[in-house]
Amino acid sequence: MFAEDLLQFRNDLYNWGVLFCYSGYLNEAVLESIGTAMRVKLENDTSDPRLARTLFSVFVEQVQNVVRYSAEVEIVDRDGVPPELRHGLLAVGKDAGGHYVTVGNLMLTADVPRLRRDLSEIQKLDRQALTARYREILKAAPPEGSKGAGAGFTHIARLAARGIEFGFHEVENGLSFFGLKAML
Amino acid sequence: MDPINIAQTARTPRVEFDFQGKKFIIAGESYPEDVSSFYGPLLEKFTTFLSGSADAQISFRFELIYFNSSTAKILMELFEALEEAAGNGNHVVITWAHETGDDNIKELGEEFAEELSNASFIIEEIAI
Repeated sequence: MFAEDLLQFRNDLYNWGVLFCYSGYLNEAVLESIGTAMRVKLENDTSDPRLARTLFSVFVEQVQNVVRYSAEVEIVDRDGVPPELRHGLLAVGKDAGGHYVTVGNLMLTADVPRLRRDLSEIQKLDRQALTARYREILKAAPPEGSKGAGAGFTHIARLAARGIEFGFHEVENGLSFFGLKAML
Repeated sequence: MDPINIAQTARTPRVEFDFQGKKFIIAGESYPEDVSSFYGPLLEKFTTFLSGSADAQISFRFELIYFNSSTAKILMELFEALEEAAGNGNHVVITWAHETGDDNIKELGEEFAEELSNASFIIEEIAI
């Protein structure tokens, strides 16, 4: 029974076209090891090493968003390791139109309107407008509460030739599940 | 100022800052865990060097295969600092090397170059 259930789980992933999937606590070390394995696999699969690199770029931006902002966080009180572990779900796969990178994580419901507004805005922009927006963000001071350049989503949208999809689902205790899919 | 030489790792680039020879190189991949702790000290030394430079021949070579958006912000700061130095009478040449056929990296370089009016900018194709 156990093997059968596990196989079913694997088949579900397969039917989604998933090549790689990770669900759990993430840190930069996980990002590096999964990222490297994924790149080798994709470079091996496609005759286009640049596609592998573009997917890797999207993957890094998405995972760094989880590592920096997921609201499902466990505090680690030990010397020599980053003080936080954040939870996320990530998958890289292939559908009829091409490859995709998708992530999901919990976030504060209070932050949903702002993120929804930003992503809706980004989703409407064409390539030229995305380029302009990216440059504007790089030249500006980092936004309040940002641990990076605040340019990640714009960069993802630039690389996602088939666009981005996103959604929010309210869970409980002021938390919502956020999902983002970048299609290349 | 003593030269800075940092070896490349999986996620941080090789850095060669030769303040004496006024030649600077950043090469490889860049998606550090903490962008500020990697680039902060480098930017500080570099801008100190620039502010003390006059009528100097400065060359900066970027040879990046991949970088994340947090690194892009640092690169933008470097371009702005180099342009300012060029505006202050230094002779600044920036070389942006990209892998043959890698349009993403090429385009990003061209976008940074839009900051430049006094510094020279060269795009170079290389096989990696």
